[in-house]
Amino acid sequence: MAGGQERILRRRIKSVQSTRKITKAMELIAASQISRSQARIIANRPYRNGMRRIIVEAAKADPAGAAKLLATPEHVESAIVLVLTGDRGLSGSYNSSALRAGERLVRKLEGEGTAVRLYSVGKKAGAFYRFRGIDLVEGFVAMSDRPTFEDARRIAATVATLFVAGEAQQVLLVSTRFLSAATQSVEVQQLLPLSLPDVPEDDGPKVLKGYTEFEPEVAQLLKTLAPKALESEIFSALLEGAASFHISQQRAMAAATENADELGQNLSRIMNRARQDSITTEIMEIVGGAEALRSGK
Amino acid sequence: MATLKVEIVTPEAPLWVGEATALVARSSEGWFTVLPEHMDMVGNVVPSVVRVGTTEGEIAIAVHGGFFQVGPGEEEGETLATVLAGIAEKVDEIDVARAQAAKESAEAEIAADIRNEHETATSVMARAALDRAELRLSAARS
Repeated sequence: MAGGQERILRRRIKSVQSTRKITKAMELIAASQISRSQARIIANRPYRNGMRRIIVEAAKADPAGAAKLLATPEHVESAIVLVLTGDRGLSGSYNSSALRAGERLVRKLEGEGTAVRLYSVGKKAGAFYRFRGIDLVEGFVAMSDRPTFEDARRIAATVATLFVAGEAQQVLLVSTRFLSAATQSVEVQQLLPLSLPDVPEDDGPKVLKGYTEFEPEVAQLLKTLAPKALESEIFSALLEGAASFHISQQRAMAAATENADELGQNLSRIMNRARQDSITTEIMEIVGGAEALRSGK
Repeated sequence: MATLKVEIVTPEAPLWVGEATALVARSSEGWFTVLPEHMDMVGNVVPSVVRVGTTEGEIAIAVHGGFFQVGPGEEEGETLATVLAGIAEKVDEIDVARAQAAKESAEAEIAADIRNEHETATSVMARAALDRAELRLSAARS
């Protein structure tokens, strides 16, 4: 009896250990990806900031033209919502918190009478909506780990076409922003009309900075600038999402590894006790048998 | 002292950043040159070769379309010229054989697509690829 229990425990320990090997490997892989994806965010910053600076300059020079591109319309009849998740799971709450924020946003928009067209970026978001039978216009996949600028361009082209055609008055992106290595948070960013975090409200410093020349003239420049700025903003979001994913996965897998360690320790303690019990019983039996033989003589 | 700092930046990474004596590029309005203490300027860059003059010589960079901004730099008397390009590469790093192959395959695609009355997504992409390949080839030859 006791030997049977020991065998079962041994098997469980083995299974916990092999799971631990997998989680440990995933932890290490994720950790190695973190620094790479973080470096990509840093390398992207000059482009993103440069793009924002140019938009701000152009908006200052042509407030009327910029209003069309930058101001949120009072009434939004139809909105596009992009939800960005990873292509893979096992990453803690990374996917689910973005999806939950997406759900909240969609409910809020629909409550305001806005028709929502939903686009998913990342396999997990696509699977989530398909499983629930929620209408998904298009799902972009296979880019979450190492997004390229081409990926961003594809997404930008799709949503920009609808926006320009007037089929949607607003494009919103739900994604995980990489604030620092320690904090990432799910945020909703308005992609179109372009909302740039540091577009100044007043054009006060215009006089100080002097006259800026535009080539071609500013109205025309703004038109070609907007789609590029959209691409840039989407690309930044993809990069930040990828870095957040790796961090989230590393954290989740580190916790899983620790858990497996603890579980294995407890199990081997129980197994040792079971083994000791069976040895004790065996000795008792031998001693008892010998005693019986001797007294029988 | 009036200095000029030039940044050629792509979404993936800054391609070239450093002190320069001049920047020559082409916008939709024509060629222009940026020297230290240039006035503030914002504009586009059409697909062309951007040349950066430095004290060690000239650097040629093929820019496949983008934007530029000239403004005051961080330091006193510094002028900062930033070129933002979706795709850009140093001319001496262009792989001529690859560009030639890309050109041929793009031309083949356009030829195969020519029967369609309307422009399809593939032909738009192929035309863009052809433009890039041609710029690379002409940049590498010059």
